[in-house]
Amino acid sequence: MIEQALQDYLNGGPLYVGEIIVRRVNPRGYVIRHWKDDQQPDATLARYADTTAALEIVRYDAKKKYRPLKGAPNLRRGWELRVSSVAETRQALDYFYPGAFATWLAYNRDEVLPVDLRETLQRQTGMYRVTQKLTLPQAEELAGRFCQSGSGCLRTILWKIDGHSPRRYLPESKFDSTVDQLGRNYGVIPFLCVEACNLFVAEARKIIKGPAE
Amino acid sequence: MSAQRKPGSALVLVGHGSTVNPDSSLPTFTHAKEIRRRRIFSEVHCAFWKEEPSLREVLRMVESDDVYIVPNFISEGYFTARVIPRELELTGAVTRRNGRVIKYCQPVGNDPRMTDLLLYRAKEVAEGVPADKTSLMIVAHGTGLNENSAVAAKRQVSAIRGRKIYPEVVAAFMEEEPPISAWDTLTTQPFVVVVPFFISDGLHSYEDIPVLLGIESQAQGAASHQEVFRRNPYQLKGRKLYYAGAIGMEAMMADIILETVERFDFTR
Repeated sequence: MIEQALQDYLNGGPLYVGEIIVRRVNPRGYVIRHWKDDQQPDATLARYADTTAALEIVRYDAKKKYRPLKGAPNLRRGWELRVSSVAETRQALDYFYPGAFATWLAYNRDEVLPVDLRETLQRQTGMYRVTQKLTLPQAEELAGRFCQSGSGCLRTILWKIDGHSPRRYLPESKFDSTVDQLGRNYGVIPFLCVEACNLFVAEARKIIKGPAE
Repeated sequence: MSAQRKPGSALVLVGHGSTVNPDSSLPTFTHAKEIRRRRIFSEVHCAFWKEEPSLREVLRMVESDDVYIVPNFISEGYFTARVIPRELELTGAVTRRNGRVIKYCQPVGNDPRMTDLLLYRAKEVAEGVPADKTSLMIVAHGTGLNENSAVAAKRQVSAIRGRKIYPEVVAAFMEEEPPISAWDTLTTQPFVVVVPFFISDGLHSYEDIPVLLGIESQAQGAASHQEVFRRNPYQLKGRKLYYAGAIGMEAMMADIILETVERFDFTR
């Protein structure tokens, strides 16, 4: 079903998600590039044919720094991944933006239930249990800093804090699944954030314990 | 080995992952790719505690109604008993939810062949060193959060002792007794071989354990990570110490993951 939906989508035109573009190039071929490299001549790009290359591409930014957060807007450029099946395309897509397409499909079927940050923090145990002390102002400040699309994360936030969207330091567009987080006004597939991630929880811990911990 | 095909089933391989170490998730991705290549399951996914896809989102990626969850973890402990079930909302070994059956398997570290992998690593790192003059030390994490965490390493130590290859086999831990830093008093032989009982090389095997052993004066940063295995043997406290890498990248791990699934079916 997911593969079929992806094939249908790509039959209708290119797919933009996060910083990549996926195009169908011949009846069974698909090309994935950084969107800024979309019009680059083939010869200027490093070309790959194995989906595993995507794992390497997403691992480090242009400065060879580890990218623990896949939604970070610092995907490096200068490559092209060309695969021959929609199954491989889906696999690659899940390496670049894990679960983005499946979650978007589920969202369209009304099957995605966002989890309030308070619930996420209440669930934590061990070293993250202290994050239960995070106050609403602290949580809003953290979301504003850590999740913002400019240099934080390109995901569209669906979760709330104590029942309210953390809009204090974030624009309305950060919560709108129809908005392109890169500000291009392209028709994109949103990279939905259904629940605050472990990296967010780890940052919350730093706020409670102090950065030295 | 030829595992039984499960055309209507999905496999979700769960790894710890890391926000600081780029190599942490590699074994999980690598084995998932190999298992995908064998076309045993209709779909194979990875999920992580500290990376993406997270445990919270992976089940949205799964289409099969029959799902095997295999923790790519070295021991039963805090993560397998508490974190993974909680994050995946599991109710036991078998969870039935919305027409789906989710089967929670044992961690891969429970496989009996882990002993062979540890011995293979020990032999490989100290080639030509007389085993009868060697103390073998298995080092593991251990945690006060779960008493079972250290059990797997201790079980390996008993199994290796039973094979009577080394005159002395001991366990030491990062966060439990006895501590890794006491290696020189825990062992008596002139040669000491240290094998980390970890799935992946990472912060613990590159930095924390070398510092505890005294073969690194301080954490060197992830950039120099493989260097620590290239400087063997270390002359330290009147002994020759050999330090091995983690066992999780071994190709045999894909077979072990598949057998973990088969064992689940066999015992249910």
